[in-house]
Amino acid sequence: MSKFFDWLDKQFKIRSPHKRFFQRTIPPNINYTYCFGGIAFTYFLLLAMSGLLLTIYYIPTEKEAYNSVLLITNEVPLGWVIRGIHKWSASLYITFIIFHAIRVFLSRAYKPPRELNWMVGSLAFIASMASGFTGYLLPWDQKAYWATEVGTSMISTIPIAGKYIAYLVRGDSHVSANTLLRFYALHVLYLPLITIFLLWGHFHMIKRLGIASKY
Amino acid sequence: MGALPHDKKIGYSLKILSKVKGEPKKFYPDYLSEIIVVITIAIEVLLILVFLMPPTIGRPIDLSKPFQAIPEWYFLWLYKLVSYFHGPFIFVGTVIIPLIFIFILIALPFFDRRRGGRLIASLLGSILLLSFVMLTLISIIDLQ
Repeated sequence: MSKFFDWLDKQFKIRSPHKRFFQRTIPPNINYTYCFGGIAFTYFLLLAMSGLLLTIYYIPTEKEAYNSVLLITNEVPLGWVIRGIHKWSASLYITFIIFHAIRVFLSRAYKPPRELNWMVGSLAFIASMASGFTGYLLPWDQKAYWATEVGTSMISTIPIAGKYIAYLVRGDSHVSANTLLRFYALHVLYLPLITIFLLWGHFHMIKRLGIASKY
Repeated sequence: MGALPHDKKIGYSLKILSKVKGEPKKFYPDYLSEIIVVITIAIEVLLILVFLMPPTIGRPIDLSKPFQAIPEWYFLWLYKLVSYFHGPFIFVGTVIIPLIFIFILIALPFFDRRRGGRLIASLLGSILLLSFVMLTLISIIDLQ
């Protein structure tokens, strides 16, 4: 086994950074509230995994979307568990981001040189909220339709440009098949990529600057 | 992986918790074993919620029937906020106040730069959190 890892390490050169990562010291005066960010990230990973599984059966078209969600919920083996994990992880993810932000604020960990990390975290939170909004439409039921219709019509209240931006978001003058496809693309492609990029920055800065211990 | 929390390691990690403050911990194995316990609890909580409240799906879309727009719970505050504005001022609720909230959220560290800045940042942060919590609660009460 160790020969295999030696061979792998010759190509990957992962052992020394890996050692640095494992042998670094953690400030002594931190407590369990410092886990909130990590818990949020755990739920993010579960969202990614369950989301990948959901794409196998989900069909983002006007005719099939509702039926495919029905199929996932009622017929696919453990489909309801995967969907349940996706739905509940989303709620817990948002909840723990908020707890994490409160902890960071209270421990004043946003102070220089960590202001950019706060800003990146805020942007990741906004991207996550957008993921929640776009994902809510995908079951294509009555509740999803009207929540999205009202939500996107808020954009059209922007003076002058509102109508055009709302049309861009919906791909139509009201929520339609175009909106479903756009929201699907945003939900499974654009927003996850943006969020992963932001989280990479977030963690990179933590790695470089270390955990902020209380002043 | 020697850090899997079998009995001996858990005992070790609990001893670490009761350590006198001031001694730095090593990520491996002290901190990592705690992280694994926390992640396990997080997944357990999630699975309990999934099994207690499995996902449902509503009725298919029927445009002929009126329907109340109920968003995901973390957007309830926004829908409630919008309902307080009418006519030409509706964009205050839909655009201006949310943008101010987003600006405050992102720029929060920069309010805490000068002396007394912590107080300003705390006030602004409290306004954000209280608006979110209060509007969500009002919304939930109204829905019932």
